[in-house]
Amino acid sequence: MISRRSVRNILESLVGVALCCVSLHACPQELIAHRDAGVESLTRNEARLFFTMRLKNWPNGTLVKVFVLPDNNALHNRFSNEILGLYPYQLRRVWDRQIFSGTGQAPTTVSSEQEMLDRIATTPGAIGYADGPIDDSSIRLLEVR
Amino acid sequence: MRTRLSIAVLLAWMTPNAAPALEFVEGKLQVHGFASQAILKSTDNYYFGNSPGTSFDFTEIGLNASYQSTPSLLFSGQLLVRRAGEMYDGTPSLDYGLVDFAPVSDTERRLGVRLGRIKNPFGLYNETRDVPFTRPSIFLPQVIYYDKIRNGLLSYDGIMFYGDRYLEQGNLSLNLGVGQSVIDDNVEWAYLADDVDGEIQAEGINWGIGSLWFSTPADEIKLGLSAIVTELDFNAGQETPLQSGTIDVTDWVVSFQYNAEDWTISAEYSRAPTRWNDIGPYWPFKDQVMEGYYLQGAYRLRPNLEIMARYEEGFANRNDRDGRGFSDLTGGTTPRFDFFSKILTTGLRWDINPNIMFRLEFQRHDGTYALSIRENPDSGDLVREWDVFAASISVRF
Repeated sequence: MISRRSVRNILESLVGVALCCVSLHACPQELIAHRDAGVESLTRNEARLFFTMRLKNWPNGTLVKVFVLPDNNALHNRFSNEILGLYPYQLRRVWDRQIFSGTGQAPTTVSSEQEMLDRIATTPGAIGYADGPIDDSSIRLLEVR
Repeated sequence: MRTRLSIAVLLAWMTPNAAPALEFVEGKLQVHGFASQAILKSTDNYYFGNSPGTSFDFTEIGLNASYQSTPSLLFSGQLLVRRAGEMYDGTPSLDYGLVDFAPVSDTERRLGVRLGRIKNPFGLYNETRDVPFTRPSIFLPQVIYYDKIRNGLLSYDGIMFYGDRYLEQGNLSLNLGVGQSVIDDNVEWAYLADDVDGEIQAEGINWGIGSLWFSTPADEIKLGLSAIVTELDFNAGQETPLQSGTIDVTDWVVSFQYNAEDWTISAEYSRAPTRWNDIGPYWPFKDQVMEGYYLQGAYRLRPNLEIMARYEEGFANRNDRDGRGFSDLTGGTTPRFDFFSKILTTGLRWDINPNIMFRLEFQRHDGTYALSIRENPDSGDLVREWDVFAASISVRF
């Protein structure tokens, strides 16, 4: 039997989900980096330079290591569209041009959001993205201006 | 023949859902690769093998490695195995092998130099023209990206300087390079029509390239101008009536692309003035201006399902678009329609997962200019109006 209370809970969570996805800022996806990255925030253009693998060093000279989820992953799609302002097929096109012409490399593809967090926390120079709050002192949230 | 297709299908089947690239040395060393097998059937004419009888002779396999030793120093190389009818027999070749040094790189600009065998950034597709995943269709627009003379565009051995400027309004990119062209038999077939006694060679620095690109910050619009200037030496042998001389080719293309969420529109226009010097009276042509252009649209029904259509036209000589003059120069032995091609292409691309792609394609041809003379040596056998059906399966990691 479904109680009146559980119906209300279900309704509340549905409304919550809907509101979350209506408002971009409420969708808690974040640009994250290893704590030693040495920057607090990036412009959207700078974030694009990192994720298209054209800018390979942090301001302190460390090699950048980019981590992404597979092309067909929902979080990857949201991050690409909303934070970078690029369609996922455009990112793929840039990476493929670089790896198959010898002029650059591609990001490292991880298989899950948990692996993403683990790799960012343990790889100096790492940059990636996450969905939801982060509770790990090795990971720094970067604001996108 | 059928084994090759079975192997391709088997490979595709075995590839896990998202095969990661191979990475070593903390990710600084990456290994990527691809393999593709096509099947073709044409109503007439030889196109990537014995296509009237169904051809499996279009196979592409590539394996590359790159090592980012520091943020400014990259080493990379790719081996390519390519079988394309009579044009390429699958002998492995070095596709590129280079060292890339970018001493200046920040959020506003990048300046660097490449040394080695370098892919030519000509037009939208030349740099990665043999990677099926990066092409708009199974066959590139043949009126610009001639497969019959791939090496006239493909790559060179030499040096390239490049500069990128990142602005609020968009990104500018300039490439300038010089070196020596990479010659093969197909170049000889294309420029001298037959496997003549003698050799086409590159002597000294015979190749220069330049390309300038602009794209809006999110790559919605991309504009480009690229050019190649090259001089080939022909050293005639004893058995040929031709004399030693040179062939000058300049090739340029303007490129346009518009990218929306579901749509991509591309268009390019190219001209290649070609001049034969001192080859002698038995070679009928003195100069020509090859011309080609196309308009292409792709629509993504879903992120992994795309349909495309393209119309292209190409001419051996833009001052003789119906081929009448050139056909007369050959005494009528080569028909007029061998000097132009008008091609309508429609295709479907299905990315089964990020690592496996399946394609279907149909082409309707008017004219035979796009065909390799090497594959169709007897111009009397050519048929003016012909169709091609093709399918391909490609895997990558």
